Amino acid sequence: MSWNKVAVVGAGLIKFGELFDQGYEQMASGAFGAAMAGVDKGIDRSAIDAVIVATQRGSLWGQEGIGGNTVPSALGLSGVACTRVENACPSGSDAFRIGAMAVASGVHDVVLVIGVEKMRDKSTAEGLLARAAAGHPVYNRGETAPVLFAPFATRHMHEFGTTPEMLASVAVKNHHNGCLDEYAHFRNEVTIEQVLASPFVCSPLRLLDCCPQTDGAAAAILTSADRARDFTDKPVYVAGFGVATDHPYLHEKTTFVSLPATKLASSRAYEMAGVGPNDIDVAEVHDCFTITEILDIEDLGFVEKGKGGPASLEGQTALDGRIPVNPSGGLLAKGHPIGATGVAQLTECFWQLREEAGDRQVSLRNGFALQHNVGGRGSGVSVVNILTRNSA
Amino acid sequence: MSNRPAAVSLTSVGVAVPTLRLQAAQVSAAWGGSSHKGAVALCDSDEDTLTLAWQAATDAISASGVSTDQVSGLWWGTTRPPFAEGPSHAFLAASLGLDASSQGALFAGSPHAGMEALLGAWDALASGHATIAVVVASDALVPGIGTAGETTTGAGAAALVLEAVGGDAAGPAAPARLVSRATRYAPVVDRYRADAADSTGDVYDGRLFREEVYLPLMTEAARAIGSTPAVWAVSDPDGKLGGALAKRVGGRLSSAEVQAALGDTGAAAALLGLVQACAQGDVSSGETVGVVGYGGGRASAVVVELSDLVPGASRISAKLKAGQQVTYTTALRARGQLEPMADPIQMGLPPGGAAFVRGNTEMLRFEGARCTACGTISTPPSVHPACTGCGETKLETVRLSRIGTVVTFVVNQTMPPPFQAPLPLVVVDLDDGARVMVQGSPADAESLAVDDTVSLSLRRYALERGIPVYGYKASRVAAKPASPATRSGGSADDTKGAGR
Repeated sequence: MSWNKVAVVGAGLIKFGELFDQGYEQMASGAFGAAMAGVDKGIDRSAIDAVIVATQRGSLWGQEGIGGNTVPSALGLSGVACTRVENACPSGSDAFRIGAMAVASGVHDVVLVIGVEKMRDKSTAEGLLARAAAGHPVYNRGETAPVLFAPFATRHMHEFGTTPEMLASVAVKNHHNGCLDEYAHFRNEVTIEQVLASPFVCSPLRLLDCCPQTDGAAAAILTSADRARDFTDKPVYVAGFGVATDHPYLHEKTTFVSLPATKLASSRAYEMAGVGPNDIDVAEVHDCFTITEILDIEDLGFVEKGKGGPASLEGQTALDGRIPVNPSGGLLAKGHPIGATGVAQLTECFWQLREEAGDRQVSLRNGFALQHNVGGRGSGVSVVNILTRNSA
Repeated sequence: MSNRPAAVSLTSVGVAVPTLRLQAAQVSAAWGGSSHKGAVALCDSDEDTLTLAWQAATDAISASGVSTDQVSGLWWGTTRPPFAEGPSHAFLAASLGLDASSQGALFAGSPHAGMEALLGAWDALASGHATIAVVVASDALVPGIGTAGETTTGAGAAALVLEAVGGDAAGPAAPARLVSRATRYAPVVDRYRADAADSTGDVYDGRLFREEVYLPLMTEAARAIGSTPAVWAVSDPDGKLGGALAKRVGGRLSSAEVQAALGDTGAAAALLGLVQACAQGDVSSGETVGVVGYGGGRASAVVVELSDLVPGASRISAKLKAGQQVTYTTALRARGQLEPMADPIQMGLPPGGAAFVRGNTEMLRFEGARCTACGTISTPPSVHPACTGCGETKLETVRLSRIGTVVTFVVNQTMPPPFQAPLPLVVVDLDDGARVMVQGSPADAESLAVDDTVSLSLRRYALERGIPVYGYKASRVAAKPASPATRSGGSADDTKGAGR
């Protein structure tokens, strides 16, 4: 039995990209409008009684102190309850989980979950790369984002014979999917040869093994399962979720071929939803780097440990594969505006379960979709949400 | 004033050389003019006089068989310490793992500082105030761009472990003893650096310095020691003065080989020459070495009697041969004289701040927190009130091993200034069971592999807001063993291995 106490009745996002022409509030407004428009039977904004905002690094646009509580004002909702969630790369997916709990508790009736992230208001050097100088002055010195995942690629290759071509096949597949997604940052095909010819960013990861820096926003509207049909005849239910943590430093990892937080979070979500990996029809997983998707599909139980590389190369995760992964283009092609990412993934799951995903629609067997993020220093936190179109 | 205080014994020695070598011809090519010969040693951007001093002293202590808690103190001489004013001595003492109650002194201000450290330690031992002294002389001076000093200024360090000769004259024989000494001075301006200057300038006139300052003072000091050693180890600011001095006083010059390999090592020069003499000396004849150092208008001479092989000395030969040849441009970058215009990204934590007050000792001593319940070592201790293995909170601070095996690694190619690519970052399983992630050596970027054996050494991680920040870095000492699964298990799920 799935949990199914809460339903998604509308979701939407803005086109991701380098949105130099839009500020944080404008992006939020765009995503809110898209989610409201996605409510089949219409909704008045006065119905919303709480907003959960996911923004991970306000410092990237110089507004660390106010990211969050300015959002209701930008949406015409000033006065409503509002809380900001920061939980590293899973900020958006955790905001969704917290929103679902707020509804399930009965405290709030209709909750807007909105993820907004401005990644490109600062230069790359002053923005994302500046983290090379953050954290512990010795144990984190030089640790840019790819450093958090590249050591896993080195070790995965060492232990399982995973090849650069297998890594590249993830980028090829997700770029292909991105071509089919009008919201994606990148909408161009790439080949394995192009991936392997791109320069090293942090070896063994090359430029096309890495997701871009993307501005974006996404929103979802949650209400109780009982009330869902006031807004739509095709609600999507929250079947289960899980969150788990791990130690913050890379040197505290007990394994470099698995992300334990993902395993734990997904096992909790599967148990809550009453399903297993074989019941999932489609998954939106955290592919900040190609190796991350390979780790994810193993840790989420879609393929055996060590087989993620060959499975990707063979097309098992393609739109028409055994388990379609990242139909939206994933972080690699759609982009990774951190706080928005999880909510955008959930929006894709919402569309897929309602069979509204157009050219990238996958075939549904069991009616379950899984959404996953992992991140933080040393991949110290993971969140998994499972959605279903099945009402019971 | 006696030039024969109570003799002290020389127990062991250690030597450190920096990573880079610059051919003088490279400098000539950049600036034109007559072509210079020879080569100088210089620090990479993560080395300085303190990291060299650490390496030499670590090797000397290791060769002595003395444990660090037996050491009475550290006597360090360096022309220009890493902090012109500041905690240089405390940083070095901590990184050597010396007891918090250990004594000693920092001598600086001219290349004579190396001899002052030696004499200061001798005084402490002779007076009975100290029983085991670590003496280290190091320099990594930065010459002014386009000065003659660019073709002569080298870098290096030498360390000695000295022990008081006990009242029992028939005690265990020391491999060498310090027996006499003398000092002379003249108030003259030679090579110097003014307050606001970044680099050292040359002497006013080479001939003036040679005839009126160096040769008279050094000769007087050498003749005042009351014996005529067969071998001389001298400091030599330009590579030609030592030979002239040897002609005056008579004898062989052991420091010449060091000078040819490294250039003028400043405060370390005379003691490096002594180590070279120890490595080559004819111990059966009770050979004596005259060690004569110069700097800042002062010259000091010390007589060392050799009676056996001095532990640690033989390593100098391989060290003098090592070194990576670099271009003049690379040398300028390494010395910090060629920098990109982009503002460097500031460290998130200010190095004068509270996090460093809490964390400096554990970083310099390279410590972890060992769980008394399960044995797991959590690193660094200051951010781990609970064991990362089992969650228990009874932890004891331990110094970590500095040898281990590569678990995994990356080479970061994409970072803003002040970072320089390629930068390896390496996860290492240390031989004591702890796991750390540290920076690796850029020299290993192309060839590092999982299961390689690496050794960790003190390096300068950053020069942040003028403050040096030190930590340990890994460099490869051996490729992975030929047979699999000898050092690390290589199991599919790679759990931390035995010893935890």
